[in-house]
Amino acid sequence: MTEANGSTAKNPKVRVVIDGREIEATAGAPLLEAALDNGIEIPHYCYHPKLSIDGSCRMCQVQIQGQKKLAIACNTPCTEGLVVDTRSDEVADARRGVMELLLVNHPLDCPICDQAGECYLQDYSFEHGSHHARTTAPRRKGLKRVPIGPRVVFDQERCILCRRCVRFTNEISETNELRVFGIGDTSYIGTLEGRPLDNPYSVNVADVCPVGALLSSDFHHKRRVWFLEETESVCPGCSNGCNIKIGAFREEIQRLVPRRNDAVNETWMCDAGRLGYGFVGAADRIREARVCDDQGQQVVALDAAITAAAAALRRVREEHGAGAIGIVASGHLTNEEYFRLAGLARETLTTVSVDLAVPLGEGDDFLIRADKAANARGAREMGLVPGEAGRDLAGILNAVEAGEIRLLWIIGSKDFEAVVGTERALAIAGRLETLILQDVQPSGLSDKATIQLPGATWAEKAGTFTNYVGRVQRIRPAVHSPEGVLLDGEIFAALTGALSGRAAVPFVPSSVFDEIAAAVGAYAGLAHQSLGGAGTNPADVTEGVG
Amino acid sequence: MPLSHELENRIRAEFPKYPEKRAVLLTALHFVQEEQGGWVAPDCILAIAGLLEIDPIDVKEVVSFYHMFHDHAVGQSHLQVCTNLSCSMRGARGLVRGLEEILGVRPGEMTPGGEFSVEEVQCLGSCGSAPVVQVNNEPFLENVALADLKSLVAGLQTRRRAAVGE
Repeated sequence: MTEANGSTAKNPKVRVVIDGREIEATAGAPLLEAALDNGIEIPHYCYHPKLSIDGSCRMCQVQIQGQKKLAIACNTPCTEGLVVDTRSDEVADARRGVMELLLVNHPLDCPICDQAGECYLQDYSFEHGSHHARTTAPRRKGLKRVPIGPRVVFDQERCILCRRCVRFTNEISETNELRVFGIGDTSYIGTLEGRPLDNPYSVNVADVCPVGALLSSDFHHKRRVWFLEETESVCPGCSNGCNIKIGAFREEIQRLVPRRNDAVNETWMCDAGRLGYGFVGAADRIREARVCDDQGQQVVALDAAITAAAAALRRVREEHGAGAIGIVASGHLTNEEYFRLAGLARETLTTVSVDLAVPLGEGDDFLIRADKAANARGAREMGLVPGEAGRDLAGILNAVEAGEIRLLWIIGSKDFEAVVGTERALAIAGRLETLILQDVQPSGLSDKATIQLPGATWAEKAGTFTNYVGRVQRIRPAVHSPEGVLLDGEIFAALTGALSGRAAVPFVPSSVFDEIAAAVGAYAGLAHQSLGGAGTNPADVTEGVG
Repeated sequence: MPLSHELENRIRAEFPKYPEKRAVLLTALHFVQEEQGGWVAPDCILAIAGLLEIDPIDVKEVVSFYHMFHDHAVGQSHLQVCTNLSCSMRGARGLVRGLEEILGVRPGEMTPGGEFSVEEVQCLGSCGSAPVVQVNNEPFLENVALADLKSLVAGLQTRRRAAVGE
């Protein structure tokens, strides 16, 4: 790399002029990247910020002062004094030419293509192409709608051979399932016989595909993308906290797609996280509150169930002391909810037997963490830890079996069951006087609940998650909770009110966050409003201030 | 066992000539195609990849890229018609249609007895004498006219009959 301005820095800055505007760029960085980072749009297909340079699509050609031929911006390194024109007639001609050739064999089946509406071919054709076709030759036929792997559908006719997917499987998933086979105008993307596109990150190829050639099977022919309402959020599948967009239509989640955050997930997410949203609208989701009487579980209004839960908690505490109450939560709530739950447990109930149940699964050294809960770290930082002389999960289980804990309140009993094991979980339930479950999904314990409170999912909540390295990131509501369901934080607020005999304090996540910033050392200096779209790691803030 | 020990040893003997084993790929494919009936079967692709310590998909990519290698069986006389720019402008498409008519097969197919197959190929490197046809690895047939095809096919049939002693 050349060192501009006699600078000795590793990545010296250089000045580049694009369309008369001077920008600062890193020496040696692709000109296209510098332009895009500065809001200068140069059309491109094969270039992707997280993949190696391919240079195959020729769409990003620009005029560089002092050079006779047009150059591709993706493979032109930024050097001091580079003067670039992206708007000349010659550039416009080149783009029109590329578009014409790309469309010669394109099937133009946009009316049934999932990519329509977010397709680079459509957008660039409109902006840079010609409005009529000069060719009358029959278009090349190819494979249509074939599974190229268990989670990805392939349409060969739409492919423009940009090779983003091939580079993804070479460089990111490192699984090598895809290649360009053949030569010239008969080239095609394919797999080896008996080795389909099947890796934990496979659906990312549908995101990188600039056209409708590779598509998510899950989203295939499901909804026109322009009908989706997209909400910025964070994936709840594990503690990595990949940034996502939730695409919803009429209160139903249609898909999750990754959202770029270079500090967390770059532009990727795993298939398990992407396809793991089904529980939100599942038929067997817990939507009703239930309270057990002599005849068994009865459906009741949620406020009646909350009243019953408060009464049970009060009675056990009065008769047997706070030591007879145990609370086990999953790692799926927001920081704001955990903060309220911790306050309720510590100050109102004065129980110290509080812990989390977080199931462990497979992890890798990329984006998939073994702990399958979005916010276990946040939960602990909010105080969901056994108090002094309090019992942890193992201690709570033993105390139930010894008859010392008489009331167990489990938030997320599916995770509890996964961690404890069904057999022991059922035995535990059998030993209890009162079992309160606060659940979204049914578990083996659902039938055993004395009181069942329906919970809400992350897709219905505003608040924050703290990922495994401590980055605090916002989630936003994409859909409403089912009729009659409160957010978990609202349930905690109502219970706190009922147990303390004071009017319930409304649960407002942004205000709770400010309380957290004031109360929890690690979060000092954070403000809800300044978390932004990408989140903040408090450690970085402290370093910056210090 | 897709490759014989002799064939494997012949490939291994090439290793010292190159800095990396993967560099032997083209040579290995030629050997395998020569000895395994004129094409590279999927299990041969796996075997070569194993010998050269590369991903089998890289072997398949190379086989599919070069028209000189075949991932499916071809006829004893494999007729390759260049249909790139110069040859197409000088009538190559007509030659393909002519061969389809005479032999009753389409490009990529083989005659029932396995005697002939036809394929459209990329530039053979003889644009000055377009259109060009190549039979197997024999010297180019240059400036081929539609009228030449019947005698070309007949000549190949005669030659084949002589070879098998009919």
